[in-house]
Amino acid sequence: MKKLQGFGYPIFFAVLAVLPYVLDSRWQAVAITFLIFTVVALSQDIILGKCGMFNMGQALFFGIGAYTTAILNTHYGWPLLATIPLAILIPAIFGVILAGPIVHLRGDYLLVTTIGFNIVFVQVVQNNLGGITGGPNGIFGIDSMKLFGVGLVSQESVYYLAFAVLLLTLWIMRNLEKSKVGRAMHYLREDQLAAESIGINTRIYKIFAFALGAGIAGLAGTVFAVQYSAVSPEAFDFMQSVLFFSIVIVGGSSVPGVLIGVFVMFVLPEVFREFATWRFFIFGFAMIVSMILRPRGIWPATFGKIPKFLIKGGSHGA
Amino acid sequence: MDTFLQQLANGLTIGSMYALVALGYTMVYGVMRLINFAHGDMVAASAFVGLTIYTQVLGQAVSLGAVIAIFLLSAVVMAAVGVILERIAYRPLREAPRLSAVVSALGASLVIQNGIMLIWGPQMRIFPELVPQVYWDFGGVVISLIQVIILVLSLVLMVALYLFVEKTRMGAAIRASSIDQDAARLMGINVNSVIALIFIIGSSLGAVGGLFIGLYYRGITFNMGWQYGLYAFVAAIIGGIGNIPGAMLGGMLLGLFNAFISGYVSSTWSDAFTFILLIIILIVRPTGILGERVAEKV
Repeated sequence: MKKLQGFGYPIFFAVLAVLPYVLDSRWQAVAITFLIFTVVALSQDIILGKCGMFNMGQALFFGIGAYTTAILNTHYGWPLLATIPLAILIPAIFGVILAGPIVHLRGDYLLVTTIGFNIVFVQVVQNNLGGITGGPNGIFGIDSMKLFGVGLVSQESVYYLAFAVLLLTLWIMRNLEKSKVGRAMHYLREDQLAAESIGINTRIYKIFAFALGAGIAGLAGTVFAVQYSAVSPEAFDFMQSVLFFSIVIVGGSSVPGVLIGVFVMFVLPEVFREFATWRFFIFGFAMIVSMILRPRGIWPATFGKIPKFLIKGGSHGA
Repeated sequence: MDTFLQQLANGLTIGSMYALVALGYTMVYGVMRLINFAHGDMVAASAFVGLTIYTQVLGQAVSLGAVIAIFLLSAVVMAAVGVILERIAYRPLREAPRLSAVVSALGASLVIQNGIMLIWGPQMRIFPELVPQVYWDFGGVVISLIQVIILVLSLVLMVALYLFVEKTRMGAAIRASSIDQDAARLMGINVNSVIALIFIIGSSLGAVGGLFIGLYYRGITFNMGWQYGLYAFVAAIIGGIGNIPGAMLGGMLLGLFNAFISGYVSSTWSDAFTFILLIIILIVRPTGILGERVAEKV
């Protein structure tokens, strides 16, 4: 599979780069959604896959990013480009504030707490706290992106924005994996006690993973808000978080695995529209079957140069 | 004061339903260390199974015998579903990474939830009026017959379960398996049948909970399982998951908390307050109120 990845990526990116010219506008929209959801799933992978923390609330950070852009743009008239730094920073800060008190919780308890944060967030925006979230209907009429005075109004430009964000995310993750931080996270995932005893400050790295994952998800949220020029609470509800969580685990917490997962979850349903009511019924079975056949995911991640005999089976996650 | 007593009565009713459902979570988690995300959807399925038994099997007859038949048949059907679920979705993953089983549970939840939708349709169905509408007015505090039945029957079932787990040989086997499956196996306990047993008990109690939800709220929808399932799970965690009295206590506390938030603050905020309560409890007591301090398995 390593070999496949070697020449698979350039071909894949080349295909993505020319994709908008071969698709009609409906499929362009599907492709944009694919890119955005891939970025969110990858950001989820930093927390869940790379660091081994059971986070089931990633749609929360995605939503905070989207709402930050939407609120700054529609209520305060900020240009979209200027909202991007805050749409990264605010989710990241929330990641630190929310993760800080809870990262020491045992796996499943952490999972429920993150579900809780997600549900609290959706209720806050639905109840229109502070009068700026637009309540259950959300916020409409977000501007189009402007770059150096040129309006990026076409769907193609949104596509390339999403594509750029995906490339940036992949670049960050690649650097992360090769860095000291990435190795620390890996040891943390494999064995927290051992990681602590060799001097890794697990708490700091855990919070860092949350901040980074939240920031990237927030950026994806901005692109999402630009694509639909609207945000509404149900796009960021707990069910979305469950899907992102499942994608990472079913995929095997690797980039190809996440791509396959997002494709199966969000693109295939567009192909088989006539089976729309059967969608989740079939997905449910697919999730069970894929886990039974490949318990470590469809395309399991391999890490660096750690010898095989050191990676014990069945130790993925806590 | 009237509001207080009224919400106390409502809270205890809702709380006992949560507690019944929470027992299914807590027993499965106690033995398998698995969050059975499909449990909430099984509870929802039970309400629909009860509805179908009422209309198809009993021909819409309402009598005490019919009510008992609905409860027993639904419990049997759901117990069978629970055992099949464990056999298909969880047993092959017992040695797999923890999260694989979690995803399998989420998949099972989607299958059951959407299976209900495909069989009974996406629209809300009205649950039959099995219990006569009798109300007692205690100086402004109204208590219905349904509330009394729910509360009493839940308490009876919970006490029975507690005695079963604490006093019988099978109960001892369940307790032993929840402490250490391998050691239990060495002592000659058939862990597979213990797990089948907890799925039978948990699913039947969940089935009763689902029928109570149908009787109390009347409107049932295919996707209501997530809501009640999540609440019951929160109840189990608040009490200390894996701990049977904890699930009962957690369910009652959560029901009361919900009722008072709805009564005094606002019902549109009750979910948020519930989860804020959960987060605060977990920060203060990371393993729940009655949970014991357990070392992380390495």
